[in-house]
Amino acid sequence: MTLSKLVVRNITRRRGRFVFTLLGITIGIASFVTFQSMGGNLKKEIYRETASLGANLVVIPKGSCGFEQLSVLTGDQMPTNITMEEIKKVAAIKGLTVVPFLAQKTAIHNSPVSVNGILPEETRKLKAWTVADGAYFSTGNDRGAVVGMAAAKQFKLNPGSVVTIRGEQIQVQGVLNETGGRDDFTVFLPLPLAQRLFKAVDRVSYAAVKVDNLTLTDSYIEKINEAVGLGVVSDKQMLKSVLSIVGSVNITLQLIAAVSVLAAAFGIINTMMTATYERKREIGILQALGAKQSTIFTAFIMESGFYGLIGGVSGVMAGLITSIVAAPYISSNAFTTLVKGSGTNAAIDYKLVIGSVLFSVVVAVAAGLYPAWRAARLSPVEAISYE
Amino acid sequence: MSNAIIRTESVSKHYATGDITTIALRDISLEIPKGSFTCIVGPSGHGKSTLMHLIGGLDRPTGGKVWLDGTEISSIDNSSLAKLRGVKVGFVFQFFNLLQGLTAQENIETAMMLAGVPEKKQASRSLELLAMVGLADKAGSKPSQLSGGQQQRIAIARALANEPEILLMDEPTGNLDSASEAEIMKILHVLHGQGKTIVIVTHNEDIARAAERIIHVKDGMLH
Repeated sequence: MTLSKLVVRNITRRRGRFVFTLLGITIGIASFVTFQSMGGNLKKEIYRETASLGANLVVIPKGSCGFEQLSVLTGDQMPTNITMEEIKKVAAIKGLTVVPFLAQKTAIHNSPVSVNGILPEETRKLKAWTVADGAYFSTGNDRGAVVGMAAAKQFKLNPGSVVTIRGEQIQVQGVLNETGGRDDFTVFLPLPLAQRLFKAVDRVSYAAVKVDNLTLTDSYIEKINEAVGLGVVSDKQMLKSVLSIVGSVNITLQLIAAVSVLAAAFGIINTMMTATYERKREIGILQALGAKQSTIFTAFIMESGFYGLIGGVSGVMAGLITSIVAAPYISSNAFTTLVKGSGTNAAIDYKLVIGSVLFSVVVAVAAGLYPAWRAARLSPVEAISYE
Repeated sequence: MSNAIIRTESVSKHYATGDITTIALRDISLEIPKGSFTCIVGPSGHGKSTLMHLIGGLDRPTGGKVWLDGTEISSIDNSSLAKLRGVKVGFVFQFFNLLQGLTAQENIETAMMLAGVPEKKQASRSLELLAMVGLADKAGSKPSQLSGGQQQRIAIARALANEPEILLMDEPTGNLDSASEAEIMKILHVLHGQGKTIVIVTHNEDIARAAERIIHVKDGMLH
């Protein structure tokens, strides 16, 4: 017999309570892992989307806030306040490659999907796209659509398939290879066609700008400001602004996770307190047999730590499965589009796995401290006489 | 008496409940010789069990001193007292007090585990003890699968696990039929023959008659 064997016997004797207490900590840790994993991936995804935008500057309507900047990355619907005349003025500045986008949304089979109106040749200068099936746009006046890989899979689209956008039947002419970002979930249309369908003739949502000389970025911003009355943000500014929004989302998610873990900790305290009362006589017997206060304390701490270890391992597994399986089904909006994208690329973060199990054990041990202290302080005579 | 293994000097025990103080024992001075068979007798609620708890180090006196095999135990720290209890004293209770989740063998091994005996030695010694109380075939049985007499024999085996010099028993046959009682008495005589100091708290006159020495406790005092 060893103390750890005695502890395991005590836990498994009351299987029902063991399972329910374990479920509490499992759910707590699972939500912690899910939120941490999604939050972490969200940040990574923002960095990746910013890089995949391929632009050094973004021209957006004047007075746009961080939310619009986030929409540039997520492909969410944006106002169409920028005229093609203004785009032409910006494009006239030497040393800039200007690529306008019309960012809209539609529904296919009642599921929301991003639609981007693009200038095919200019866009390809920014994006490292390759075609998986069919063909890319041949001219800017094509009447077809090119779709991202994830959207093609979701809506079962192949070259030749027909999608209805704003009541008009559009034939899919090509499917892009997976990029790992939000482009995979987007339907691309030639800009004139998109402008007509979304009643935004001669207007776009934003323009991505690539500069020839990075050291002159500030002077380019000034020149754009002089040429047109629009807002200009650098990719770094946009990243900073979007990360601050995501940071506050992450804090909210972590708070929710903390509440779940706290609830689980109270579940452990409750179980261990009940065990102290139920096993009062057994504690007395162990004391009569020579158990020191430290031995009783250690046995109770080991028991709650065991809950933490098993609950932590099962919680981490459940959390990772949830974050990977559930992410693609999260309905799309400005924030969750990135989560949705991140879910498909979620890799197991070993730091998160080990950290969460350790966190679970620490929380469980902390939760067991008071019941263990109570158990250890019982008077042997009082305990052994307990009916 | 020079060979006293248990000695008390003016021991008293009071219990306070709110403003009411109950005096369980007052001014008890006694000596129990090493290797003796002693019975503590007296009416219920007059302090017999309290006296047993004090001389076994399960409780601390309100006043006076207790010596256990030469160690003054009323003032030593809890940890040292627990250690001393584990190796010097074996307790047997009326209601057996076996750990219900463990087998007979594991109950015996637990006492040894608490005294720091290695696992291998625990196994061999526990089987030896089970054979000694005639229950070698019940090693894997849980207490709920054993009769009262068998449970008490396991409790005696557990009390002997760390080879204590003193066996303190509180009504060991109080919950048994006469056949089981006779079996227990037989074992106790063997143990006494081996030199163990046996102290029994009892109402049972047959057991008291078998003792070498009888201590009468009434109204918390020796008579």
